[in-house]
Amino acid sequence: MATMAMEATPAASGTSVRSGVRWLGNALAHGYIWAWLAVFALPFIATLAYSLRTPQGEWTLSAYQYVFGSFRDNLLLSFQTTILTIVINLLIAVPAAYAIVRYPIPGKSFILSTLNLSLYTPAAVMGISLVIAYAFLFRIPQTMTGLIAAYVVGTFPLMLVPIIVALRDLPMVFEEAARTLGATRMQTFWRIEMPLLGPGISAGVLLTFVIIFNEFLVTLFVAGPGTTTAALRVYNLTRTAGFQPSTAALATTMQLVSFIVVLTFFQFFGSRYLKGTYLI
Amino acid sequence: MTHAPADVVIEYAVADERPRRVWDSPRARGILLLLPAVAVAALFSLIPLVYLFQISLTDGSSFFFDAEYTSANYLEVFTRYLPAIGETVYLAGAATLICLLFGYPFAYILIRKVRYRELVRTMMTFPLFGPLYLAFGLFYILLPTGPLGGLFASFNINVTQFLFSQGAVLFSMAVFTFPFMVMNIGAALSNVDPMLEEAARTLGAKPWQIFTRVLFPLSWSGIVAGFLMCFGWNLGVFAQPQLLGSPKEQAVISLQMFYKGLVQFNYGLAAALGVVLMIMAFAVTWVSLRFSRGALGA
Repeated sequence: MATMAMEATPAASGTSVRSGVRWLGNALAHGYIWAWLAVFALPFIATLAYSLRTPQGEWTLSAYQYVFGSFRDNLLLSFQTTILTIVINLLIAVPAAYAIVRYPIPGKSFILSTLNLSLYTPAAVMGISLVIAYAFLFRIPQTMTGLIAAYVVGTFPLMLVPIIVALRDLPMVFEEAARTLGATRMQTFWRIEMPLLGPGISAGVLLTFVIIFNEFLVTLFVAGPGTTTAALRVYNLTRTAGFQPSTAALATTMQLVSFIVVLTFFQFFGSRYLKGTYLI
Repeated sequence: MTHAPADVVIEYAVADERPRRVWDSPRARGILLLLPAVAVAALFSLIPLVYLFQISLTDGSSFFFDAEYTSANYLEVFTRYLPAIGETVYLAGAATLICLLFGYPFAYILIRKVRYRELVRTMMTFPLFGPLYLAFGLFYILLPTGPLGGLFASFNINVTQFLFSQGAVLFSMAVFTFPFMVMNIGAALSNVDPMLEEAARTLGAKPWQIFTRVLFPLSWSGIVAGFLMCFGWNLGVFAQPQLLGSPKEQAVISLQMFYKGLVQFNYGLAAALGVVLMIMAFAVTWVSLRFSRGALGA
């Protein structure tokens, strides 16, 4: 842009025009970023606006009575399944990451690819394979067990990767110092490594929460009549009842809860621990 | 993965007194720690996928009673469902291309000029909440009674022509995968020294020359990784065509698989469609992992 300005203007007024062009370029660049930020938020804002309007064009909160009325059980189920998944994910992913980084295991990269397999499987393929396997192989169709297992297998790699990254960045010296000072392996893990790994683990927790809380596709395949999560309810209502303000209210609530969780996380840990997993 | 030897030394120094048992060896302990994860992955990912492949070779739902093995399902997939595969690849490719065209400038500005990156990251989590809400919101925006309806009506444009159209599907797909593209390109661009651009500019290169000769070659790996990652995600697209697309877009494999499997109970055909989609997604992922070595801790 600076070159263009130089060619276009006489030498006398060159500097001010050049700075003007640079200012314009910067304004356009930042405008572009803000335009995309608006696009990201637009669907949420539209859903919010729709949930607050009556057919007559008045503003009302009445659609939100359903969120705590007929949708209450779905929301509670969503919270339950999400928290249960996070707990199981932690119990599986932390030892696995520890083993992969700190222990000599044959065929490590092959094992890691197998563990990450579900990350690369399209959700619908995972859904159809699980619904067939649950119905005819494991004999657990439409159960809570099956639903949680589907969530765990789909998201524990997301928990595994940040912990592996954090563990690799953690120097061995802390661990070695604790061990030479007489701490047992368990003490070292709980008192030294866990606190240092905390942010890496929490990044996995955040990703799991946001994804499972809003997951509807695998749920659509695997869930039964008694296990309709809130996100699946949004989908089902959209398919059967069309676009209702009450559905919009539920969708708004779901996004609001997710966003508050993200904001709280960023407040405590910042966004740098999500590097390489979802955000730069 | 070179931490192991130090660990072994500690093992001997501390566990000297006790009699040594099988699970005292680092290798056995490592395998023990890995066991739950491997068991879950094998039970609920590997075995179902292998079973899916087996079902895809049987006729209809015959496997339940008396399995008749046949390749008819794949024959049908590659004849009757060839347009569905084409539509899936086309939609995924087009959406990913849109992502790339708009994502590259976004990533460049974000890396070079923006100081409020925390805010951008926060806003970028909205698409992560899922394509369902995205499609839902976009649907309302495109309704004649929606916010854009009045605006477009004053220009004499019928806003409903965008609803149930390819454009709406592509837009929602592109927005959903946009952060993945920005992440990959941004990671590559943040490794490019700004001094290189300055040097090129001082030596008289025009902006487009700086892009084609300096930036593009240096961020090539990020572009390929981002493209393949978004393409892989978009291959499994489900909600956007169903809520925003016309019957043409609704031919995508994921949706067809859902109808065949869970509505018509033709498990054989649904499984075959699933296997084809899975192979496509795995192929894309395999190539992309070649390009973004180590991005996922592998």
